[in-house]
Amino acid sequence: MLRSIRNVALFSSLAVLAVSQVACGGREVVRGSQEPGIDNAAMSTGIDKEDIQRMLHENLNNLRAAPIMNQWRTQNPQATVAIFPFANTTSEHIDSQLDAILSETESWLIDSQVVKLISRERQNAMIAEVEGGRSGVFNQASVAKYGRQLGVKYYVTGKVQAADERTEDARRIQYFMFMQVIEVETSAILWQHKAYVTKMVR
Amino acid sequence: MRSLLRAAFSAPLVLALALGLNGCGGHEARTLRMRTALDEGSPKAAIAAINEELEVKDSTELPKEVVGDNALLVLDRASVQQSVLAFDLSKKDFQAADKAIDMLDLSKSSLDAIGTWIFSDSAGKYVAPPHEKLLINALNILNYLETGDLSGAKVEARRLSVMTRYLHDVMKETDNGMLALGGLLAGFAFEKSGETDEALRYYDEALAFGAYPSLGPAVKDLLSRGNYTTPRLKALAEGQPETKPEDAELGDVLIVMGHGRVPHKISERLPIGLALTFAAGHIHPGDVAAANKLALQGLVTWVNFPVLAPGQGAYSTPVAQLDGRYVELSQVVDISSEVRRAWERIKGQVIASAITRCIARFAAGSAIGAVGSAAGGKNGDIIGTLLSLGTQAALTAADTPDTRSWETLPARIVFARMRLPAGRHTISLSARGWSRRQEIDVQKGGFKVVSLMALN
Repeated sequence: MLRSIRNVALFSSLAVLAVSQVACGGREVVRGSQEPGIDNAAMSTGIDKEDIQRMLHENLNNLRAAPIMNQWRTQNPQATVAIFPFANTTSEHIDSQLDAILSETESWLIDSQVVKLISRERQNAMIAEVEGGRSGVFNQASVAKYGRQLGVKYYVTGKVQAADERTEDARRIQYFMFMQVIEVETSAILWQHKAYVTKMVR
Repeated sequence: MRSLLRAAFSAPLVLALALGLNGCGGHEARTLRMRTALDEGSPKAAIAAINEELEVKDSTELPKEVVGDNALLVLDRASVQQSVLAFDLSKKDFQAADKAIDMLDLSKSSLDAIGTWIFSDSAGKYVAPPHEKLLINALNILNYLETGDLSGAKVEARRLSVMTRYLHDVMKETDNGMLALGGLLAGFAFEKSGETDEALRYYDEALAFGAYPSLGPAVKDLLSRGNYTTPRLKALAEGQPETKPEDAELGDVLIVMGHGRVPHKISERLPIGLALTFAAGHIHPGDVAAANKLALQGLVTWVNFPVLAPGQGAYSTPVAQLDGRYVELSQVVDISSEVRRAWERIKGQVIASAITRCIARFAAGSAIGAVGSAAGGKNGDIIGTLLSLGTQAALTAADTPDTRSWETLPARIVFARMRLPAGRHTISLSARGWSRRQEIDVQKGGFKVVSLMALN
């Protein structure tokens, strides 16, 4: 009798405890080289390495076959080119990813060996000089001025736009990455191409 | 017999105590040290208290998981970091919290779902009322403007627009006063980026909530260059002096000041009879009968639910001076009123949900009591009743209302906008004993944003 009541009491306690406790667990840290698929999963609605590579691959493959690239291949001396930051017109803070895109593009152009590329440090100094005390921050509206000050004939730039929508239980962002080659003297767009990536959290 | 009674009582009682000692004071208890430090005028001590609760070694660290209570503590830290002018740290915290916090949609949520969010679920995802969700982005725009980062400010403005659109289209809420602050700051970011129509669109959103005469010259200038226009924008621009060539030599200064603190949530227990009166319009008739039966039982019939504590500092007078001259400040948003309004909208449902949970406790207690009665032989009825009451008592102790809310929001926010000759100027801001003196170098065509959040 006593045992059965103790069992009932114990049962009631455990039942209450079970609904009130939250399970905890440790977290595992893994290395990409040990788990090759680590980059595959989307972690957020931001832009990740997979997205950057996909969009850049599409855009730069197109640039490889573009007339401006053929012109650069035959030009002697080599054309001087600058790469200016991409404008972020999305609803995500992807500035560090845009920096990565810039560096990847820079590497690709250097590897192509068809243009003389202006160093980013020199560009930054020039931006600060052009913008003066106003902000010292890169201003998309002043890119032609930067180009002239740097003595470059062309610059590569771009922008990432997004359509951001949410419903009751999901949020979807469609990214559009545009890349351009612009002639400094005329501001003519000599090449432009776009690539898309969509991310969703639900 | 005595040992039987002891056994029947002991387990639920020990459990109730264990739950009580296990940190069931709710969110308000976790933030008590932070609030006390803010009241004493020590925001750095408040940050230290939050860091301790988050179990991080300093303010550069985020907790292992930004979920539940932690997301809200990160949000509190973001506000306090803003008040100590640590804008970069504040940005990081706002962004982390923004991703972890969703918006409470009353138009879609069932009573059960509301109950899950409001009660005993502080380990779950925090679901914020719309004003909090909108203010995450609005206040983060301020951080980016303070640091001169227009691109970052515009990202936050776009995030705000996504939420605003959702609020309008899905939740059918168009009168949330937080949109005034968002519109004002987002408009400034787009105006200074040279995106005229976007700036006008945001200013128009802000003007739906107030007149803001100090925006007049900027709106007139933007209308002359842009395509977007509305009667509200035109009305504000009318009567503004014509733009003179020497205006191009001026720079813009925006002052934003917050003062006081919004009411936070505290836990309250009401007798079920009184709770039934409050929730009369929201509770199912079947539940009313069950609740009345409970009330007649006369023991362990308390309903736990969160209520709003008094706010503070909403009626103080902030002061701004430019080069020693007083500046006229306009109120842009009364956040305390919005907090109360949001709470009034949900209060009946919250109490109804609390009653439903009370009935569930009663049912659980009765079930366990029935098992006890069957097992107790000749003393079964007494043992069953005691087990039932003990279980109900344990569950009542465990049923801690979720007192989570964004506690470090200023009660009100005021602003001023001025056009100044290029050169050095001094801005002095003070509110509720907190002050900031800032030397600024205004460039021709440039801008500066200077803020003070006095969170006591």
